[in-house]
Amino acid sequence: MVPETFGEYWQATLDDLGRCPARVEIDPIPLRSTDFATLYGVRLTSLGPYRLFGYLSVPVGIGPFPAIYYAPKYQSVLEIIPQGTANLQRSRYVTFSLAGRGQRNADTPYAAMFPGLLTDGIDDPASYVFRGIVADAVRGLEFLRARSEVDPARVVVVGNDVALMAAALTSGATHVVTTPALFYRTAELAPRTQAYPLEEINDYLRAFPARAESVRRTLASFDLVAFAPRVTATTLVMASAPGSLLDGAALGPLRSALGGPVTVHDSEQSSFKDGLYAERWMAARCGIPDVEAILPEHWRAT
Amino acid sequence: MTVSAEYRSKVRKPDDFDAFWADVLRQAATVPLAPEIVPDPLRSSEDVETFQVFYTSLEHVRIAAWYCRPARRAERMPAILLSPGYQMDPPIPKEWARKGYVALSVAPRGKLRSLGQFNPGYPNLLTHNIVDRHTYAYRGFYVDTWRGIDFLLSRPEVDASQIGVTGSSQGGGLTITTAAMRPEVRAAAAGAPYLCGFMDAIELTHTYPYEEINDYLRRHPDRRPEVEETLAYFDGISFADAISCPIIVNIGLQDNVVPPETGYALFDRIGSRDKQLYPYDGHGHEAGRFRHTAVVDRFFARHLQGAEIR
Repeated sequence: MVPETFGEYWQATLDDLGRCPARVEIDPIPLRSTDFATLYGVRLTSLGPYRLFGYLSVPVGIGPFPAIYYAPKYQSVLEIIPQGTANLQRSRYVTFSLAGRGQRNADTPYAAMFPGLLTDGIDDPASYVFRGIVADAVRGLEFLRARSEVDPARVVVVGNDVALMAAALTSGATHVVTTPALFYRTAELAPRTQAYPLEEINDYLRAFPARAESVRRTLASFDLVAFAPRVTATTLVMASAPGSLLDGAALGPLRSALGGPVTVHDSEQSSFKDGLYAERWMAARCGIPDVEAILPEHWRAT
Repeated sequence: MTVSAEYRSKVRKPDDFDAFWADVLRQAATVPLAPEIVPDPLRSSEDVETFQVFYTSLEHVRIAAWYCRPARRAERMPAILLSPGYQMDPPIPKEWARKGYVALSVAPRGKLRSLGQFNPGYPNLLTHNIVDRHTYAYRGFYVDTWRGIDFLLSRPEVDASQIGVTGSSQGGGLTITTAAMRPEVRAAAAGAPYLCGFMDAIELTHTYPYEEINDYLRRHPDRRPEVEETLAYFDGISFADAISCPIIVNIGLQDNVVPPETGYALFDRIGSRDKQLYPYDGHGHEAGRFRHTAVVDRFFARHLQGAEIR
C-alpha cells in the first residue's frame, strides 16, 4: 500500500536537496589511472548539507561514452568498480561510484555501522538515514548526467534498491540494473529471514516492539513498488534464486509496477553466470560490440 | 577459459620465513590480550547470545569482533573462528551459534570497528607499506586474526580441543595462515582463498582487489623486487606446508577475483594428509557456496562435534 504522503515526502526531499549546491571538486588520482582510463576523486555536497565522495573514471579517447553509475551500496567500503569487474570495463564506459553518507570516504561526521545502518532513525521518515542516502544517490546521478564525457542516451544505474529509487526520483537513467535487498515489502518479509541485513529489522523490533507501527510506516515510504511506476528506464531486475525470499515470483508485483520495459533474471546461484548475464545485458543495450574483451579473464569463452 | 589443475605457483618460501614469523609472534606475545566482552542485547535473541568483543594485538592495536554463542548452554562447546573478506564488513555469526558452535567473527585492523589506530582504506590495504615486510599491512592483520584463537582459549565455554577456522576469499586466505600458525586449530575450511599466489594472480586476472598491486607496480616499476620479496613472507602458499589439521578447500573455476589456478597451486602445497579440494565448474568467486555450505557443515560436525550430518 503506497502511503498517501509518498509523493509529498519525496518531493520535499528533492526540494531540500535542490537547496544544497553540489559544489563539485574533481581531482585526478594517478595511482589508479591507466593508459585506457583516468580516475578522479570527486567531492560534492548532498542533502544536509553533507559532503560525499565518489570515484569517476573516464575512458581515454573521444567520447561521449556510455556510463555506469554505481549507486551507494549497503557496505562500508566504496569500490572504484565492483570487486571482480574487469578493470578494462573502464576503457568502454565512464564509471562513477558514489559513497553515500556513512560509507568510507563519506564517513565524516557520520560513520555508519554495518549492521546498524538499516534501522538508523527508522522510527520517523523525516529522520531515517536512508532519506539522506537516497538523496545522495540522486545527487550522484545529477552529477553524472551533466558530464560532457557521458552519452545521455546510455546511462546505466547499477546497485540494489537505492539504484532504482534514484532512477525514479530524477531524470537521466536510461537503464537500471537493480538487485532488491532492503526495501521490497520489508516489514512483511523480514520476519521470514534470520539473515542480515533484514535481520536488523527483526533485531530492532525485538528490542522495541512498541515501535512496530512507526517502523512499518517509514518502510512504506521506501518500498520499491511505490517508486516503480516512476521508473521509465529499461530495467533488469536481478532476483534471487527460485524458492528464496526475493526470487522472481516474489518480485512479481515489482515487475508489474515498473513503468518501463523489464527483464527479471532469476539467480543461477553462481556469481559467474549472474554476473556474466548482467555484463552482457548492459553491453548489448549500450552498443558495446566487443563485450568479451572487457570481461574478467576467467569469464571469457576462450 | 580453460584452467589447468597442474598450475604451479612461482612463490618461493623465503629461507628465513620461520624466523621472520617467530620474531613477529615474540613481539605479539609481549602485548597482553586484555579481552573485553560486552553483551549486545539488540543483536541477541531467544536462541543466540551476541557480544561485542575487543582484544589487543600487535603494536597495541585494539581489535573488535562479534561473538555469538547458543543461549542457555552451560557445557563447553566447539568453536569456530570466522575471518572476513577483503571489503566485506565482518558478519555477526548467529547462524554458527544456531548450529551449536561458539563463534568469533574477527575484524582485523582497518576493518570497521577496528580502524581507530590503523586505517589505510580500501583500496590501499593490499599495498600499504608493501616494500617492507616489517611494516606491511598484513603483518598486523594476520596476527589480529590469529589472536582470535587466544580469545577463544580465554573463554570458559570453549572446548579448547575443538576449534575450527573458516572463511572465504580473504577469509579463505586467513583460514590458511591461521591453520598453519595455530596448532590449536583442529579443522579448517577455506573458500576461494585470496592472499595465496599474489604475484601469480596479478598476471592471471585484472580485477580488484589484486589489481591494486598492478596499479602500484605500474606507478613504481622499480620497486617490483621489494614487492616480490615482501609478498613471499605473506603468501598463503608459503604457509601451506605447515598445515597439519584436516582441511577442505573450495574454488570456483570461473572465479573473477581469485584465479582458480592459485587455488590448485595452494592445495598442492598444503601439508596436511587429510585434505580435500572441491573445484566448482560454472562458478565464480562465490566458489559454489550454495552447494558447498552443506559440505562445510558436515566437515565441521564430523571433526568438531563428533557428529555425522546427512
